[in-house]
Amino acid sequence: MRQAMRDAYWDRIYELAKNDRDIVIVSADFGAPSLDKFRRDFPNQYINTGISEQNAVLLATGLALAGKKPIAYAITQFITLRCFEQIRIYPCGMDLPVTIVGVGAGACYWESGSTHHSFEQLSIMRTLPNLETVNCTDCHMAKEAADFTVHASGPKFIQMDREVIDGIYRGTIDFKKGYSFLTAKNENMVISTGNMTKEAMDILNHAELDFGIMDIYKFPVDTESLKAELEGVKNIITLEEGAREGGLGSYILEILSDYEIRIPVHRIALNTYDGYAASYNYGGREEIRKGYGMGRKDILRVIGKEFARQ
Amino acid sequence: MKDIKELEKKARELKEMVVRMTTKAGTGHVTSSFSCAELMTALYYGDILRYRPDDCKWEGRDYFILSKGHANPILYAILADLGFIDKKELDLFCQPGGKIGVLLRGDIPGAEITSGSLGCGLGIAAGIAQALKSDRKPNYVFCMLGDAECREGAVWESAMYIGYAQLNNLVTIIDRNYLGATHFVEEEAGIEPIDDKWEAFGFDVRHINGHDIGEIMEAVGDVRCIKSKKPLAIIADTVKGNGVSFIENIPFMHGVAVKPERMEEAIEEIGKGSKL
Repeated sequence: MRQAMRDAYWDRIYELAKNDRDIVIVSADFGAPSLDKFRRDFPNQYINTGISEQNAVLLATGLALAGKKPIAYAITQFITLRCFEQIRIYPCGMDLPVTIVGVGAGACYWESGSTHHSFEQLSIMRTLPNLETVNCTDCHMAKEAADFTVHASGPKFIQMDREVIDGIYRGTIDFKKGYSFLTAKNENMVISTGNMTKEAMDILNHAELDFGIMDIYKFPVDTESLKAELEGVKNIITLEEGAREGGLGSYILEILSDYEIRIPVHRIALNTYDGYAASYNYGGREEIRKGYGMGRKDILRVIGKEFARQ
Repeated sequence: MKDIKELEKKARELKEMVVRMTTKAGTGHVTSSFSCAELMTALYYGDILRYRPDDCKWEGRDYFILSKGHANPILYAILADLGFIDKKELDLFCQPGGKIGVLLRGDIPGAEITSGSLGCGLGIAAGIAQALKSDRKPNYVFCMLGDAECREGAVWESAMYIGYAQLNNLVTIIDRNYLGATHFVEEEAGIEPIDDKWEAFGFDVRHINGHDIGEIMEAVGDVRCIKSKKPLAIIADTVKGNGVSFIENIPFMHGVAVKPERMEEAIEEIGKGSKL
Protein backbone atom coordinates (compact mmCIF):
# COMPACT_ATOMS: atom_id res chain seq x y z
CA MET A 1 0.00 0.00 0.00
CA ARG A 2 1.34 3.41 -0.91
CA GLN A 3 1.61 5.36 2.26
CA ALA A 4 3.14 8.62 3.42
CA MET A 5 6.28 8.19 5.51
CA ARG A 6 4.67 9.69 8.59
CA ASP A 7 1.68 7.36 8.36
CA ALA A 8 3.96 4.34 7.98
CA TYR A 9 5.89 5.53 11.04
CA TRP A 10 2.89 6.33 13.24
CA ASP A 11 1.05 3.13 12.29
CA ARG A 12 4.01 1.15 13.53
CA ILE A 13 4.33 3.30 16.67
CA TYR A 14 0.64 2.59 17.31
CA GLU A 15 1.35 -1.15 17.19
CA LEU A 16 4.34 -0.80 19.50
CA ALA A 17 2.39 1.38 21.94
CA LYS A 18 -0.12 -1.43 22.51
CA ASN A 19 2.55 -3.12 24.60
CA ASP A 20 4.53 -0.12 25.74
CA ARG A 21 2.83 2.48 27.93
CA ASP A 22 6.00 4.54 28.04
CA ILE A 23 5.74 5.70 24.44
CA VAL A 24 4.47 9.28 24.57
CA ILE A 25 3.88 11.46 21.51
CA VAL A 26 4.49 15.19 22.05
CA SER A 27 3.10 16.98 19.05
CA ALA A 28 3.62 20.70 18.57
CA ASP A 29 0.32 21.17 16.78
CA PHE A 30 1.11 18.74 13.99
CA GLY A 31 -0.90 15.73 12.95
CA ALA A 32 -1.18 12.87 10.51
CA PRO A 33 -4.20 10.80 9.51
CA SER A 34 -2.62 7.85 11.26
CA LEU A 35 -2.25 9.77 14.52
CA ASP A 36 -5.99 10.06 15.05
CA LYS A 37 -6.38 6.47 16.20
CA PHE A 38 -3.38 6.84 18.50
CA ARG A 39 -5.01 9.88 20.11
CA ARG A 40 -8.27 7.99 20.42
CA ASP A 41 -6.88 4.75 21.84
CA PHE A 42 -3.96 6.07 23.91
CA PRO A 43 -5.06 9.48 25.18
CA ASN A 44 -2.68 9.27 28.13
CA GLN A 45 0.22 8.83 25.75
CA TYR A 46 -0.52 11.77 23.50
CA ILE A 47 0.22 15.42 24.27
CA ASN A 48 -0.41 18.37 22.02
CA THR A 49 1.70 21.25 23.30
CA GLY A 50 0.32 23.64 20.73
CA ILE A 51 2.68 25.73 18.65
CA SER A 52 5.58 25.75 21.10
CA GLU A 53 8.53 23.70 19.93
CA GLN A 54 10.88 24.75 22.71
CA ASN A 55 8.37 23.60 25.27
CA ALA A 56 7.74 20.40 23.30
CA VAL A 57 11.42 19.43 23.48
CA LEU A 58 11.70 20.44 27.16
CA LEU A 59 8.56 18.50 27.99
CA ALA A 60 9.94 15.49 26.13
CA THR A 61 13.14 15.88 28.15
CA GLY A 62 11.22 15.81 31.42
CA LEU A 63 9.19 12.81 30.26
CA ALA A 64 12.41 10.98 29.40
CA LEU A 65 13.92 11.85 32.79
CA ALA A 66 10.85 10.27 34.38
CA GLY A 67 11.29 7.05 32.40
CA LYS A 68 9.18 7.67 29.30
CA LYS A 69 10.09 7.31 25.62
CA PRO A 70 8.87 10.60 24.21
CA ILE A 71 8.61 11.44 20.52
CA ALA A 72 8.51 15.18 19.77
CA TYR A 73 6.79 15.84 16.48
CA ALA A 74 6.33 18.78 14.13
CA ILE A 75 7.42 20.12 10.75
CA THR A 76 11.16 19.46 10.56
CA GLN A 77 12.20 23.07 10.25
CA PHE A 78 10.43 24.03 13.48
CA ILE A 79 11.21 21.01 15.64
CA THR A 80 14.93 21.30 14.96
CA LEU A 81 16.05 24.87 14.53
CA ARG A 82 13.52 26.73 16.69
CA CYS A 83 14.47 24.54 19.61
CA PHE A 84 18.00 23.64 18.62
CA GLU A 85 19.49 24.76 21.92
CA GLN A 86 17.05 22.70 23.94
CA ILE A 87 17.85 19.64 21.80
CA ARG A 88 21.55 20.33 22.16
CA ILE A 89 21.65 20.65 25.94
CA TYR A 90 19.05 18.12 26.97
CA PRO A 91 18.32 15.07 24.78
CA CYS A 92 21.81 15.24 23.24
CA GLY A 93 23.90 16.69 26.07
CA MET A 94 22.29 14.46 28.69
CA ASP A 95 22.00 11.48 26.29
CA LEU A 96 18.29 10.93 26.84
CA PRO A 97 15.92 8.66 24.87
CA VAL A 98 14.07 11.50 23.18
CA THR A 99 13.15 11.15 19.52
CA ILE A 100 12.62 14.22 17.34
CA VAL A 101 10.43 13.47 14.35
CA GLY A 102 10.19 16.08 11.62
CA VAL A 103 8.18 15.98 8.43
CA GLY A 104 9.33 18.19 5.59
CA ALA A 105 12.74 17.17 4.26
CA GLY A 106 14.33 19.64 1.87
CA ALA A 107 11.84 21.56 -0.24
CA CYS A 108 8.98 19.08 -0.07
CA TYR A 109 6.68 21.84 1.18
CA TRP A 110 7.42 23.43 -2.17
CA GLU A 111 4.43 25.75 -2.09
CA SER A 112 5.30 27.18 1.32
CA GLY A 113 8.63 28.91 0.84
CA SER A 114 11.79 29.08 2.90
CA THR A 115 10.13 29.15 6.32
CA HIS A 116 9.08 25.55 5.79
CA HIS A 117 12.14 24.30 3.96
CA SER A 118 14.57 22.05 5.72
CA PHE A 119 17.90 22.76 4.09
CA GLU A 120 20.39 23.02 6.95
CA GLN A 121 19.10 20.21 9.16
CA LEU A 122 21.63 17.54 8.21
CA SER A 123 24.50 20.01 8.42
CA ILE A 124 23.47 21.22 11.84
CA MET A 125 22.00 18.19 13.54
CA ARG A 126 24.94 15.94 12.77
CA THR A 127 27.18 18.15 14.91
CA LEU A 128 25.25 17.15 18.04
CA PRO A 129 26.63 14.59 20.49
CA ASN A 130 24.96 11.20 20.90
CA LEU A 131 22.36 12.01 18.24
CA GLU A 132 21.51 9.46 15.57
CA THR A 133 19.85 11.00 12.56
CA VAL A 134 17.72 8.96 10.17
CA ASN A 135 16.96 10.70 6.90
CA CYS A 136 14.23 8.45 5.59
CA THR A 137 14.62 7.21 2.03
CA ASP A 138 11.19 5.63 1.67
CA CYS A 139 8.11 4.76 3.69
CA HIS A 140 9.34 1.29 4.56
CA MET A 141 12.35 2.89 6.20
CA ALA A 142 10.07 5.27 8.08
CA LYS A 143 8.19 2.26 9.45
CA GLU A 144 11.45 0.58 10.48
CA ALA A 145 12.56 3.83 12.10
CA ALA A 146 9.65 3.41 14.53
CA ASP A 147 11.23 0.25 15.93
CA PHE A 148 14.59 2.00 16.04
CA THR A 149 12.94 4.86 17.95
CA VAL A 150 11.49 2.63 20.59
CA HIS A 151 14.22 0.05 21.01
CA ALA A 152 17.49 1.98 20.68
CA SER A 153 18.74 4.16 23.53
CA GLY A 154 19.77 7.80 23.31
CA PRO A 155 18.47 10.73 21.27
CA LYS A 156 17.33 10.34 17.68
CA PHE A 157 16.22 12.63 14.90
CA ILE A 158 14.00 11.11 12.21
CA GLN A 159 13.47 13.27 9.15
CA MET A 160 10.72 12.39 6.71
CA ASP A 161 9.65 13.57 3.33
CA ARG A 162 6.11 14.62 2.60
CA GLU A 163 6.22 12.94 -0.82
CA VAL A 164 5.12 9.34 -0.98
CA ILE A 165 8.29 7.44 -1.83
CA ASP A 166 8.18 3.66 -1.69
CA GLY A 167 9.60 0.50 -3.18
CA ILE A 168 13.27 1.13 -2.43
CA TYR A 169 13.69 -0.83 0.80
CA ARG A 170 12.23 -3.99 2.22
CA GLY A 171 13.06 -6.18 5.20
CA THR A 172 15.10 -5.18 8.22
CA ILE A 173 17.09 -1.99 7.89
CA ASP A 174 20.54 -1.84 9.45
CA PHE A 175 20.53 1.45 11.33
CA LYS A 176 23.96 0.77 12.77
CA LYS A 177 25.54 0.60 9.35
CA GLY A 178 23.57 3.56 8.06
CA TYR A 179 24.11 3.12 4.32
CA SER A 180 23.49 0.63 1.55
CA PHE A 181 24.35 -0.03 -2.06
CA LEU A 182 21.20 0.12 -4.13
CA THR A 183 23.07 -1.10 -7.22
CA ALA A 184 26.22 -3.12 -7.72
CA LYS A 185 29.34 -1.26 -6.73
CA ASN A 186 30.69 0.84 -9.59
CA GLU A 187 33.85 2.88 -10.10
CA ASN A 188 31.50 5.83 -10.43
CA MET A 189 29.24 6.19 -7.43
CA VAL A 190 26.44 8.58 -6.71
CA ILE A 191 26.06 8.84 -2.95
CA SER A 192 22.69 10.29 -2.08
CA THR A 193 20.37 10.80 0.85
CA GLY A 194 16.65 11.25 1.46
CA ASN A 195 14.42 11.95 -1.51
CA MET A 196 17.42 12.37 -3.82
CA THR A 197 18.06 8.65 -3.70
CA LYS A 198 14.81 8.12 -5.59
CA GLU A 199 15.92 10.84 -7.99
CA ALA A 200 19.26 9.09 -8.56
CA MET A 201 17.46 5.83 -9.28
CA ASP A 202 15.14 7.53 -11.76
CA ILE A 203 18.13 9.06 -13.53
CA LEU A 204 19.90 5.71 -13.70
CA ASN A 205 16.82 4.04 -15.10
CA HIS A 206 16.10 6.65 -17.73
CA ALA A 207 19.41 8.13 -18.84
CA GLU A 208 22.20 6.56 -20.83
CA LEU A 209 24.61 6.70 -17.96
CA ASP A 210 26.42 4.06 -15.99
CA PHE A 211 27.00 4.56 -12.29
CA GLY A 212 26.31 2.98 -8.92
CA ILE A 213 24.12 4.34 -6.15
CA MET A 214 24.82 4.31 -2.46
CA ASP A 215 22.12 5.60 -0.11
CA ILE A 216 23.18 7.16 3.17
CA TYR A 217 20.19 7.07 5.47
CA LYS A 218 21.68 7.38 8.93
CA PHE A 219 24.17 9.87 10.30
CA PRO A 220 26.70 9.00 11.49
CA VAL A 221 27.30 5.88 9.40
CA ASP A 222 29.55 3.02 10.39
CA THR A 223 32.62 4.70 8.90
CA GLU A 224 34.95 1.72 9.30
CA SER A 225 32.82 -0.48 7.07
CA LEU A 226 32.10 2.38 4.67
CA LYS A 227 35.81 2.92 4.26
CA ALA A 228 36.24 -0.69 3.18
CA GLU A 229 33.27 -0.47 0.81
CA LEU A 230 34.79 2.50 -0.98
CA GLU A 231 37.78 0.43 -2.07
CA GLY A 232 38.00 0.62 -5.85
CA VAL A 233 35.68 3.60 -6.25
CA LYS A 234 37.24 6.24 -8.51
CA ASN A 235 34.68 9.02 -8.65
CA ILE A 236 31.99 10.17 -6.26
CA ILE A 237 29.12 12.54 -6.78
CA THR A 238 27.10 13.36 -3.68
CA LEU A 239 23.47 14.30 -4.14
CA GLU A 240 21.26 15.94 -1.53
CA GLU A 241 18.39 18.38 -1.41
CA GLY A 242 19.99 20.44 1.29
CA ALA A 243 22.51 23.18 1.83
CA ARG A 244 25.95 22.46 0.40
CA GLU A 245 27.62 23.69 3.58
CA GLY A 246 28.10 20.85 6.00
CA GLY A 247 25.64 18.41 4.48
CA LEU A 248 26.03 14.94 3.00
CA GLY A 249 28.79 16.01 0.61
CA SER A 250 30.81 17.54 3.41
CA TYR A 251 30.25 14.46 5.50
CA ILE A 252 31.64 12.17 2.78
CA LEU A 253 34.63 14.49 2.31
CA GLU A 254 35.29 14.43 6.05
CA ILE A 255 35.27 10.63 6.09
CA LEU A 256 37.58 10.41 3.07
CA SER A 257 39.89 12.98 4.63
CA ASP A 258 39.98 11.23 8.00
CA TYR A 259 40.97 7.95 6.35
CA GLU A 260 43.28 9.66 3.84
CA ILE A 261 41.38 8.16 0.92
CA ARG A 262 41.89 10.07 -2.31
CA ILE A 263 38.73 9.95 -4.39
CA PRO A 264 37.50 13.05 -6.23
CA VAL A 265 34.12 14.18 -4.89
CA HIS A 266 31.72 16.50 -6.67
CA ARG A 267 28.93 17.80 -4.48
CA ILE A 268 25.49 18.42 -5.90
CA ALA A 269 23.47 20.31 -3.34
CA LEU A 270 21.35 23.43 -3.04
CA ASN A 271 23.18 26.66 -3.59
CA THR A 272 21.55 28.61 -0.77
CA TYR A 273 24.46 30.88 0.02
CA ASP A 274 22.99 33.82 -1.90
CA GLY A 275 19.63 33.63 -0.16
CA TYR A 276 16.31 31.85 -0.21
CA ALA A 277 14.75 33.53 -3.25
CA ALA A 278 14.48 30.23 -5.15
CA SER A 279 12.33 28.81 -2.33
CA TYR A 280 9.61 31.01 -3.76
CA ASN A 281 9.75 29.51 -7.25
CA TYR A 282 6.26 28.10 -7.66
CA GLY A 283 5.15 25.15 -9.73
CA GLY A 284 6.67 22.24 -7.82
CA ARG A 285 9.76 20.96 -6.12
CA GLU A 286 11.75 20.76 -9.37
CA GLU A 287 11.33 24.51 -9.89
CA ILE A 288 12.95 25.12 -6.52
CA ARG A 289 15.79 22.72 -7.20
CA LYS A 290 16.38 24.43 -10.55
CA GLY A 291 16.50 27.79 -8.85
CA TYR A 292 19.18 26.55 -6.47
CA GLY A 293 21.20 25.04 -9.32
CA MET A 294 20.27 21.38 -9.02
CA GLY A 295 17.39 20.75 -11.37
CA ARG A 296 17.27 17.41 -13.18
CA LYS A 297 19.20 18.87 -16.15
CA ASP A 298 21.91 20.26 -13.89
CA ILE A 299 22.30 16.89 -12.23
CA LEU A 300 22.49 15.05 -15.57
CA ARG A 301 25.11 17.50 -16.81
CA VAL A 302 27.29 17.04 -13.74
CA ILE A 303 26.99 13.26 -13.78
CA GLY A 304 27.81 13.14 -17.49
CA LYS A 305 30.82 15.37 -17.05
CA GLU A 306 32.27 13.99 -13.83
CA PHE A 307 31.87 10.32 -14.64
CA ALA A 308 33.29 10.75 -18.17
CA ARG A 309 36.48 12.26 -16.78
CA GLN A 310 38.74 9.25 -16.55
CA MET B 1 14.18 19.49 60.81
CA LYS B 2 11.25 21.87 61.00
CA ASP B 3 12.23 24.30 63.73
CA ILE B 4 12.48 27.72 62.11
CA LYS B 5 15.55 28.73 64.15
CA GLU B 6 17.29 25.51 63.17
CA LEU B 7 16.47 26.09 59.52
CA GLU B 8 17.77 29.66 59.72
CA LYS B 9 20.97 28.36 61.25
CA LYS B 10 21.28 25.77 58.47
CA ALA B 11 20.81 28.49 55.83
CA ARG B 12 23.67 30.46 57.42
CA GLU B 13 25.90 27.39 57.43
CA LEU B 14 25.18 26.72 53.77
CA LYS B 15 25.90 30.33 52.86
CA GLU B 16 29.22 30.13 54.64
CA MET B 17 30.03 26.99 52.66
CA VAL B 18 29.17 28.86 49.45
CA VAL B 19 31.47 31.76 50.35
CA ARG B 20 34.35 29.46 51.21
CA MET B 21 34.11 27.38 48.04
CA THR B 22 33.61 30.29 45.66
CA THR B 23 36.25 32.53 47.24
CA LYS B 24 38.76 29.72 47.02
CA ALA B 25 37.89 29.26 43.34
CA GLY B 26 37.74 33.01 42.71
CA THR B 27 34.45 32.58 40.86
CA GLY B 28 30.83 31.46 41.25
CA HIS B 29 27.39 32.97 41.59
CA VAL B 30 27.33 33.88 45.24
CA THR B 31 24.64 36.54 45.07
CA SER B 32 22.31 34.30 43.02
CA SER B 33 22.81 31.60 45.65
CA PHE B 34 22.10 33.91 48.56
CA SER B 35 18.80 35.18 47.22
CA CYS B 36 17.41 31.64 47.29
CA ALA B 37 19.36 30.30 50.29
CA GLU B 38 16.40 30.20 52.66
CA LEU B 39 14.08 28.85 49.96
CA MET B 40 16.47 26.02 49.22
CA THR B 41 17.07 25.35 52.90
CA ALA B 42 13.35 25.08 53.56
CA LEU B 43 12.88 22.70 50.63
CA TYR B 44 15.72 20.36 51.58
CA TYR B 45 15.70 20.59 55.38
CA GLY B 46 12.10 21.55 56.13
CA ASP B 47 10.66 18.12 55.28
CA ILE B 48 9.23 19.41 52.04
CA LEU B 49 11.27 17.55 49.42
CA ARG B 50 11.47 13.78 49.63
CA TYR B 51 14.88 12.36 48.74
CA ARG B 52 17.45 9.74 49.60
CA PRO B 53 21.05 10.96 49.51
CA ASP B 54 22.35 7.41 49.11
CA ASP B 55 19.97 6.69 46.22
CA CYS B 56 19.62 9.84 44.14
CA LYS B 57 17.42 8.09 41.56
CA TRP B 58 15.04 6.70 44.19
CA GLU B 59 11.64 6.28 42.53
CA GLY B 60 9.81 7.86 45.44
CA ARG B 61 11.78 11.08 45.33
CA ASP B 62 10.47 14.51 44.56
CA TYR B 63 12.25 16.22 41.72
CA PHE B 64 13.98 19.52 42.35
CA ILE B 65 14.75 21.29 39.08
CA LEU B 66 17.07 24.25 39.38
CA SER B 67 16.20 26.26 36.30
CA LYS B 68 18.36 29.17 37.47
CA GLY B 69 21.44 26.96 37.25
CA HIS B 70 23.63 29.88 38.25
CA ALA B 71 22.61 29.34 41.87
CA ASN B 72 24.28 25.95 41.87
CA PRO B 73 26.82 26.75 44.64
CA ILE B 74 24.03 26.66 47.20
CA LEU B 75 22.65 23.45 45.68
CA TYR B 76 26.09 21.85 45.69
CA ALA B 77 26.56 22.91 49.32
CA ILE B 78 23.27 21.20 50.17
CA LEU B 79 24.09 18.06 48.18
CA ALA B 80 27.46 17.84 49.95
CA ASP B 81 25.97 18.57 53.35
CA LEU B 82 23.33 15.86 52.89
CA GLY B 83 25.81 13.33 51.52
CA PHE B 84 24.74 13.16 47.86
CA ILE B 85 28.29 14.12 47.00
CA ASP B 86 31.54 14.10 48.95
CA LYS B 87 32.16 17.29 50.93
CA LYS B 88 35.68 17.35 49.51
CA GLU B 89 34.12 18.27 46.17
CA LEU B 90 33.31 21.72 47.54
CA ASP B 91 37.01 22.40 48.09
CA LEU B 92 37.58 21.44 44.49
CA PHE B 93 34.84 23.76 43.16
CA CYS B 94 36.05 24.92 39.75
CA GLN B 95 39.52 23.53 40.44
CA PRO B 96 41.52 21.04 38.36
CA GLY B 97 40.40 17.52 39.23
CA GLY B 98 37.08 18.73 40.64
CA LYS B 99 33.67 17.61 39.45
CA ILE B 100 31.60 20.71 40.17
CA GLY B 101 31.89 24.14 38.62
CA VAL B 102 30.16 27.43 38.01
CA LEU B 103 27.04 26.02 36.38
CA LEU B 104 24.97 22.97 37.22
CA ARG B 105 26.00 19.64 35.78
CA GLY B 106 23.35 16.99 35.20
CA ASP B 107 25.45 13.97 36.12
CA ILE B 108 26.11 15.12 39.68
CA PRO B 109 24.02 13.00 42.09
CA GLY B 110 20.95 14.98 43.06
CA ALA B 111 21.30 17.59 40.31
CA GLU B 112 18.64 16.05 38.00
CA ILE B 113 19.52 18.31 35.04
CA THR B 114 22.28 20.26 33.42
CA SER B 115 21.40 23.89 33.90
CA GLY B 116 22.79 27.28 32.97
CA SER B 117 20.93 28.25 29.82
CA LEU B 118 17.91 30.01 31.27
CA GLY B 119 14.31 29.29 30.44
CA CYS B 120 14.67 25.52 30.20
CA GLY B 121 13.94 24.13 33.65
CA LEU B 122 10.24 24.80 33.81
CA GLY B 123 9.40 22.82 30.66
CA ILE B 124 11.49 19.91 31.92
CA ALA B 125 9.76 20.09 35.29
CA ALA B 126 6.45 20.03 33.41
CA GLY B 127 7.46 16.89 31.50
CA ILE B 128 8.39 15.13 34.72
CA ALA B 129 5.17 16.26 36.41
CA GLN B 130 3.16 15.10 33.41
CA ALA B 131 4.81 11.66 33.48
CA LEU B 132 4.18 11.33 37.23
CA LYS B 133 0.56 12.36 36.81
CA SER B 134 -0.01 9.96 33.92
CA ASP B 135 1.38 7.12 36.03
CA ARG B 136 -0.64 8.26 39.08
CA LYS B 137 2.49 8.64 41.15
CA PRO B 138 2.42 10.86 44.23
CA ASN B 139 5.83 12.50 43.75
CA TYR B 140 6.04 16.27 43.44
CA VAL B 141 8.20 18.43 41.24
CA PHE B 142 9.66 21.73 42.43
CA CYS B 143 11.21 24.15 39.99
CA MET B 144 13.21 27.25 40.91
CA LEU B 145 13.40 30.09 38.42
CA GLY B 146 15.00 33.49 38.60
CA ASP B 147 12.83 36.54 38.09
CA ALA B 148 15.02 37.92 35.28
CA GLU B 149 14.77 34.47 33.71
CA CYS B 150 11.07 35.16 33.23
CA ARG B 151 12.04 37.24 30.19
CA GLU B 152 12.75 33.98 28.34
CA GLY B 153 9.92 33.12 25.96
CA ALA B 154 10.18 29.39 26.65
CA VAL B 155 9.21 30.03 30.29
CA TRP B 156 5.81 31.18 29.09
CA GLU B 157 5.39 28.38 26.58
CA SER B 158 5.85 26.02 29.50
CA ALA B 159 3.75 28.08 31.91
CA MET B 160 0.88 28.02 29.41
CA TYR B 161 1.20 24.26 29.18
CA ILE B 162 1.35 23.74 32.95
CA GLY B 163 -1.66 25.97 33.58
CA TYR B 164 -3.71 24.38 30.84
CA ALA B 165 -2.78 20.82 31.82
CA GLN B 166 -3.36 21.66 35.49
CA LEU B 167 -0.13 20.10 36.65
CA ASN B 168 -0.85 20.65 40.32
CA ASN B 169 1.95 18.27 41.29
CA LEU B 170 4.42 20.94 40.18
CA VAL B 171 5.42 23.89 42.35
CA THR B 172 7.09 26.77 40.55
CA ILE B 173 9.18 29.08 42.72
CA ILE B 174 10.30 32.41 41.34
CA ASP B 175 13.26 33.91 43.14
CA ARG B 176 12.23 37.55 42.77
CA ASN B 177 15.50 39.28 43.56
CA TYR B 178 14.87 42.17 41.18
CA LEU B 179 18.29 41.85 39.57
CA GLY B 180 19.48 40.44 36.27
CA ALA B 181 23.15 39.95 35.45
CA THR B 182 23.76 43.65 34.97
CA HIS B 183 20.53 45.54 35.55
CA PHE B 184 17.70 46.11 37.98
CA VAL B 185 14.87 44.15 36.41
CA GLU B 186 12.17 46.77 36.75
CA GLU B 187 14.42 49.55 35.47
CA GLU B 188 15.39 48.01 32.14
CA ALA B 189 13.45 44.86 31.33
CA GLY B 190 10.55 44.76 33.75
CA ILE B 191 8.30 41.80 34.34
CA GLU B 192 5.53 43.38 36.42
CA PRO B 193 2.74 42.67 37.09
CA ILE B 194 4.35 39.32 37.76
CA ASP B 195 1.68 37.87 40.06
CA ASP B 196 -1.02 38.70 37.53
CA LYS B 197 0.94 37.05 34.74
CA TRP B 198 1.23 33.72 36.56
CA GLU B 199 -2.38 33.93 37.64
CA ALA B 200 -3.42 34.62 34.06
CA PHE B 201 -1.54 31.51 32.97
CA GLY B 202 -3.65 29.41 35.32
CA PHE B 203 -1.60 29.30 38.52
CA ASP B 204 -2.51 29.85 42.14
CA VAL B 205 -0.02 32.47 43.25
CA ARG B 206 1.41 32.93 46.72
CA HIS B 207 3.61 35.98 47.17
CA ILE B 208 5.98 35.76 50.09
CA ASN B 209 9.16 37.08 51.64
CA GLY B 210 11.69 34.60 50.33
CA HIS B 211 14.10 35.10 53.21
CA ASP B 212 11.52 34.43 55.91
CA ILE B 213 11.61 30.69 56.51
CA GLY B 214 8.37 30.86 58.48
CA GLU B 215 6.60 32.35 55.48
CA ILE B 216 8.24 29.88 53.13
CA MET B 217 7.11 26.93 55.26
CA GLU B 218 3.62 28.36 55.40
CA ALA B 219 3.50 28.76 51.62
CA VAL B 220 5.11 25.48 50.55
CA GLY B 221 4.96 23.21 53.55
CA ASP B 222 1.43 22.06 52.84
CA VAL B 223 1.62 21.44 49.08
CA ARG B 224 0.68 17.79 49.44
CA CYS B 225 -2.56 18.76 51.17
CA ILE B 226 -3.68 21.40 48.69
CA LYS B 227 -6.90 20.49 46.93
CA SER B 228 -6.68 23.11 44.17
CA LYS B 229 -6.57 21.80 40.63
CA LYS B 230 -4.34 24.67 39.68
CA PRO B 231 -0.57 24.48 39.83
CA LEU B 232 1.09 26.61 42.47
CA ALA B 233 3.50 29.47 41.82
CA ILE B 234 5.43 31.01 44.67
CA ILE B 235 6.73 34.50 44.02
CA ALA B 236 9.39 34.98 46.63
CA ASP B 237 10.68 38.51 47.14
CA THR B 238 14.37 38.30 47.84
CA VAL B 239 17.57 40.31 47.79
CA LYS B 240 20.44 39.19 45.60
CA GLY B 241 23.46 38.64 47.83
CA ASN B 242 21.27 38.89 50.92
CA GLY B 243 23.09 38.94 54.24
CA VAL B 244 26.46 40.33 53.18
CA SER B 245 26.23 44.10 52.95
CA PHE B 246 28.98 44.66 50.43
CA ILE B 247 27.62 42.25 47.83
CA GLU B 248 23.91 42.88 48.40
CA ASN B 249 21.79 44.22 45.60
CA ILE B 250 24.72 45.29 43.43
CA PRO B 251 24.24 44.52 39.72
CA PHE B 252 27.85 43.79 38.88
CA MET B 253 28.31 41.34 41.73
CA HIS B 254 26.53 38.75 39.56
CA GLY B 255 28.84 35.76 39.18
CA VAL B 256 31.54 37.38 41.30
CA ALA B 257 33.14 35.69 44.28
CA VAL B 258 34.01 37.50 47.52
CA LYS B 259 37.70 38.45 47.53
CA PRO B 260 39.90 36.43 49.90
CA GLU B 261 40.73 39.50 51.98
CA ARG B 262 37.05 40.09 52.68
CA MET B 263 36.00 36.47 53.16
CA GLU B 264 36.09 36.54 56.96
CA GLU B 265 34.12 39.76 57.00
CA ALA B 266 31.47 38.14 54.78
CA ILE B 267 31.30 35.06 56.99
CA GLU B 268 30.96 37.22 60.07
CA GLU B 269 28.02 39.06 58.52
CA ILE B 270 26.40 35.77 57.51
CA GLY B 271 26.76 34.58 61.10
CA LYS B 272 24.83 37.55 62.39
CA GLY B 273 21.86 36.56 60.25
CA SER B 274 20.20 38.46 57.48
CA LYS B 275 17.50 41.06 57.46
CA LEU B 276 14.04 39.85 56.61
